[in-house]
This record gives sequence, structure tokens and C-alpha cells, in this order.
Amino acid sequence: MVKTDLYEYPPELREEFEATEAIQFRDGSSATAADVWHFMTEIAPKRYPFAYTQKKYAGVRLSRDIHLPSAIKNHYLLLTMNDRITRSRENGAPVIFVQGGQSVDPYYAAGGIALRPASVGLWARGRHEGLGLNEEVVRQHKQKEKAYHAISFEACQTAGYENIQEGGLPIDMVAPFTCLRCSDISYGVEAHRHGPNKAVKLMNIDYPMRHQADKTWAVEYFAQNLRRLTSEIGKLAGREVTDADLSKEIRLHNEGRRLAIETAELWWSADLPPTNGVDRRSLYQMGGMEVHGDPSASLTVLRESHAYIKERVNKGIKAEGVVDKPIRLFVCGSCVFPNDFRIEEAGAIIVGQDNHWSDISTLVEEDGDPYQNLAHAILSYPYEQSVEVRAAWTIEQLKKSRADGVLFLYQWGCNTQSAIARMLCDTIKRDTGIPTMIIEQHEGGSEQSEQLLNRVNAFIEML
Amino acid sequence: MSLKRNFFAGVDVGSLAAKSVILEDGKVFATGLVPSGFDSVESGLNALNLALETAGLKKEDLTYIVGTGYGRVSAPYANKAVTEITCHAKGANFLHPTVRTIIDMGGQDCKAIRIDQDGAVVDFAMNDKCAAGTGRFLEVMAGVFKVKLEDLGALSLSATELVPMSSTCTVFAESETISLVARGEKPANILNGIHHAIANRISGLFARVGITSDVFFSGGVAKNTGMKTAIEEALKVTIVKPEIDPQLIGALGAAVLARNFSKKQGLWS
Repeated sequence: MVKTDLYEYPPELREEFEATEAIQFRDGSSATAADVWHFMTEIAPKRYPFAYTQKKYAGVRLSRDIHLPSAIKNHYLLLTMNDRITRSRENGAPVIFVQGGQSVDPYYAAGGIALRPASVGLWARGRHEGLGLNEEVVRQHKQKEKAYHAISFEACQTAGYENIQEGGLPIDMVAPFTCLRCSDISYGVEAHRHGPNKAVKLMNIDYPMRHQADKTWAVEYFAQNLRRLTSEIGKLAGREVTDADLSKEIRLHNEGRRLAIETAELWWSADLPPTNGVDRRSLYQMGGMEVHGDPSASLTVLRESHAYIKERVNKGIKAEGVVDKPIRLFVCGSCVFPNDFRIEEAGAIIVGQDNHWSDISTLVEEDGDPYQNLAHAILSYPYEQSVEVRAAWTIEQLKKSRADGVLFLYQWGCNTQSAIARMLCDTIKRDTGIPTMIIEQHEGGSEQSEQLLNRVNAFIEML
Repeated sequence: MSLKRNFFAGVDVGSLAAKSVILEDGKVFATGLVPSGFDSVESGLNALNLALETAGLKKEDLTYIVGTGYGRVSAPYANKAVTEITCHAKGANFLHPTVRTIIDMGGQDCKAIRIDQDGAVVDFAMNDKCAAGTGRFLEVMAGVFKVKLEDLGALSLSATELVPMSSTCTVFAESETISLVARGEKPANILNGIHHAIANRISGLFARVGITSDVFFSGGVAKNTGMKTAIEEALKVTIVKPEIDPQLIGALGAAVLARNFSKKQGLWS
């Protein structure tokens, strides 16, 4: 089918964009800004027309903040996921399925590539070319239904089952931290154990529950699990993993985490929002170093973006399409978030999310035993603590981000977040007076339903 | 010197009905209510045209129009779109400034809204995935008993006892009702049970937002006297009597907002 009416980057932007920095990849290769421009203007519109949709509320559409190089580079990295991951795997890097909201330092230290459920979906998406927006959404739904058939229609998410077991993605290992944040991981891990694709190795990185970060036994136990993990990935990658490898990786990832924290603090301090909500989320998430399947690439873009955000904040430059004094919303919960485009149209903006921010904002000690340091950091993730501790941390983020309201969203069937939502929101409301709203979501599509929109818009009007 | 008259309209396109209210000088000047059709733009226009016709006005006579309800996103005739939660708050406050809590039961959802003295929303909660307590649910029940929707309330109030219902799920309640009828239970008693089951169910929404007097009941379901009585019993409150059709409150609030917005924009003084 011939795709028409696709978005086009303004040609006059080319010179300005091509003067920006190259993206450096983990394998030593790079993509110059000219390479990125060529791909995004000549190749991607043909291979991935859905991203060039003109539908203003489509969640996957390209950012229109075209003077922010990271906006274009982030899309470039997302749209080249299949090309890059496939090539890296062919060159011997095993691909490991992990959980969202966990750090990925040990996976990369051992020579692997760690992908959470959403990233596995992006890799799979890249294998289907020429699809328009609706065709792409239908493809995703069909795949998802296969997973629900295999797991349970009551599962909230499907832990990548549709792509790993049913879709033929060559994932080498399923090895998530088994923290309680998502109930779909327990469904998913069990489903993978019984799935038809026997080539997928299964390994649980056992996470001690109930606020154990200060218990020596728990740190040592989890550190042993991490050693087991790097050793197993090392076997797949055909290399021995040393403590120095992990120390080096921790330093690299800490740089990403620090940059994301500094970027967030800059963003939050600004009188006028320096980016729209989608670009803000991408920038913060790059600090987790997982989102592009290549920490070096994410870091390059994040370093460059940090300078841009600093300049915008210092000069009082506001992102295009955002109102001057938007209502500031902080989003809690896993997996789902409201449509940024609709929220901004209603005069608000999302300033932060607790989910991935929990691990991104947790720095790892760099001196001493890297496994123990990493274990201690991972066991300290605020998101994984008791509701009281998580609420105290969330309140801190609300103050930093100057949030006016809290939206707690969770996927229908999420047994964890649904149980936490009420208590967390009540605590926030009691201790800060900030209004909160809980929404259970169960929908696919690209633009968000009227039901959800109605609730969010009414909440914004109330604020 | 002749002073220009200012008219403001609110158009509320819901899932079952489209409503419009025209205000002049802080008074309801005309109203329109039509069933919602497939085309929400057309439904909204039909409701608006009906009110205009009743008032003897043309669309050009309107200073400002606010669209609300689920059809607000497809309301090219409106100057601005606002959610019906905000509009019900403004509408109830316009009629009764002492109202602090609103129960809005419409065609496809049910809301608990707490407001302040100015009619601003302080907190609200809505049914999420369940159709219990909605007009659509009651439509299904009216279908089971083969009675008109507007007769459900009176029939329920003629009950001699309450038949307990174990489910408020629209689908399961329908099958449960059919089996209760087959067992010889009287329709009025079953309906009494249904109304109380729904009232108890939606009282959960008020556990979240709280109840402060005065309490107002809006939306199409508010015309159901059986439901009103059941809610008063479940929430232990007395619902204030509306001066106009409670189904029009969202449109009324939209018209109030139309007046406020247009004044702020300097379109009149």
C-alpha cells in the first residue's frame, strides 16, 4: 500500500542538524548526524511510515520539537533497533530479556544486551516494514492476543511472550530480577518455562523482598545472584567476566544516571518547560541506558542533550506546543502512562514518573566490590520498598518537580500496583495536600480512549 | 439606547442523549433534549437547534458555546470543550449554591463529585470498567421486564419487599434477573433489589471523595425515583430537588461556563 500524507522534517533544518554530534555505538562504530538525517528523511519514512503519521494524538509519532537534536536521534535509535540488535547478536552478543525498571549494568558488563518488555517490542516492531499506523497497531494487537492465549487473558502484560515464544525473536535468555513491581513477570517467567521456544534459557535473579537493602545477608545473597548472572551471560558471549568489567560498566552507567538526574533537575527548575512531555520522558529514560539497546549510544545523545537543555533553561526557551504555565502532573505506577499530546492540549504537562526513575536515580557506589555495591543499590530502589518508604521518596520527587497533581495509572490485571495505588495516593494526599487520581487502564491503540481522556482532562480542569 | 442581549449555550452530547441549555441574564432561557445518534456532531447540533427554535433565536445570536460530554471532542460549533465533570459541578452550583456533593449518573458512567462554594471541583471519582449504575444498565433491565425506562422507578417503588441481587455486572445481572423472574419473584421486588444493589455499589465512590451536604443528583438516571430513593437510603442523605430536568445539568453548567469564559475574553460586560 502506498503511504501518503506522512510527516516530513523541514529540509531547511538539515544544515543545523548535521552540525550536531555523531552517535557513538558500543561496538566502536558511529552514526554521524548526516547519517541520522539521511535515515530519518529518506529511509525510515519508507520502512516505518507509522512513525511519520500526521495524527496529532498518535503516541508513536515523531516529536515536532525539531530543534532539539535528541528528539530526532532518539527516534533514529528506536527505529534502528532491529538493524542494530540483529547485527550485534550476529556478532556474538547474547540478548537477554529483563524486567522494566531494573538496572542493566551486569548484563552489559558480561557482553550481553538487556532488553525490557517494551524494548523487545520495539525490536520486533522493526522487523515488520512498510506498515502504516493502523496496520502497525493491528499487528501488535494480534501478537499480544497470541500471548494472552498462551498465558492468561487475566495477565496484565505478557512479558514479551508474544515476541519471544510466538514471534520468533532470537532472545537468548530470560533473566529478570524477580522483584515484585510487576505481576506479569511471574506470569511471564512461568509461561516462558513452558513455551515452545526451548532455545531460550531461563534464569531468575532472586530479589530479596521487604526492604532488605541494609541487611548484609540480603546484599551478599543478591550479589551472588548477580555473579551467577554475569557468569551465565559470559558463557553465552564466550568470555570470562571479571570484577573490573563490572566496575567499568557501573562507572559508565553511573555517568548516564548522573546526567539524567542533572537533566531532570534542570528541567524541573525551569520557569518554562524546555521540552514537551514525550522528549522529557525520553531524556530521563536514557539515563537508564537500556532504552536503545546500546548504553554508549544513549549516553552520547544524553550528553549532547544535557547541554541543549541547559541552554534552553538559561535562556528561558520554551518547547514548542507547550503552554506557558502548564499544570504539572507526576505519574506513578507501572507500564502505562497517559497520552502526552492530549495532556498538553489540555494545558498540562507530565513532569516525571516514578517507575523507571526509581532505578535511574539510584547511583551505585564505585569503590569496593562491584557486585556488593550493585546489589546494595538495586535492593535500595525506592519503588521496591514498603509503601511508606516509596511514598516518602515519591513526595521528594513531587517537591523537586513542583508537581501540582499525581496520576497513578496501572494496567488492568496488575496485582501489584493495583494493591499499592490507594495507600500510596492517600499518603501523598495526607502529607502534601497534592490531589491524586487513580486510573486503571486496559487498552491498546495509539491515541488513548475517551474514557481515559475524560478522567485525565477532568483532573486537569480540577487542578 | 438599546442594550445587546447576550445568550450563552451549553451543549452536552452524551452516549444516550444530547442536551442543550441557553442562558440569558443568569436565567435558563431555553432547553433542548434529543436522543444521541450515531453522529455526535449532528446530535449536538440537533439539541442546540431545538433549544434555539424554542427560544426563537439563531445560532448567530449566541455569544459563546461550550461543548461537553463524550461528544465534546467532535463539537465544531462550540468555542470551547470542557469535561462534563466540571460542567455538572457548575450546573448544580448555579441552581443550588449550597450543594457540595453531586451524584451524576449518565448513560455510560457514574460519578461522585465534591465541589466548593464556587462550584469548582474539589475531588471526584468515576466507575472504571463496570457499567453498574449507568443508564445503559437500566436500559438493559427495562428490556428484561419489557417496561419503559422512565417507568422503572415507579415500578420499583411499588415493591413490597427487596429481592437481593448478587451481581451488579450488567451481563450477569440480566441473567440473574431472568432466573429470578422464572422463580416467580415479582418484577417490582426484583427492581427494588437492583436499585439498592446499584446504590450500595456506587456508594463506594463516595467513600473515596466523601459526602458533604447538600447533595444533588444529576444525569438521566436522576429521573428514576426508585434509584433516588435507594441512593438516599444507601448514603443516608436527602437529595435536593432540582428545578429543572436533572438530565440538563451538564448542559446548564456548560452554558454557565460559556458566560464566564466569554466575559473573561471581553466579549461582553
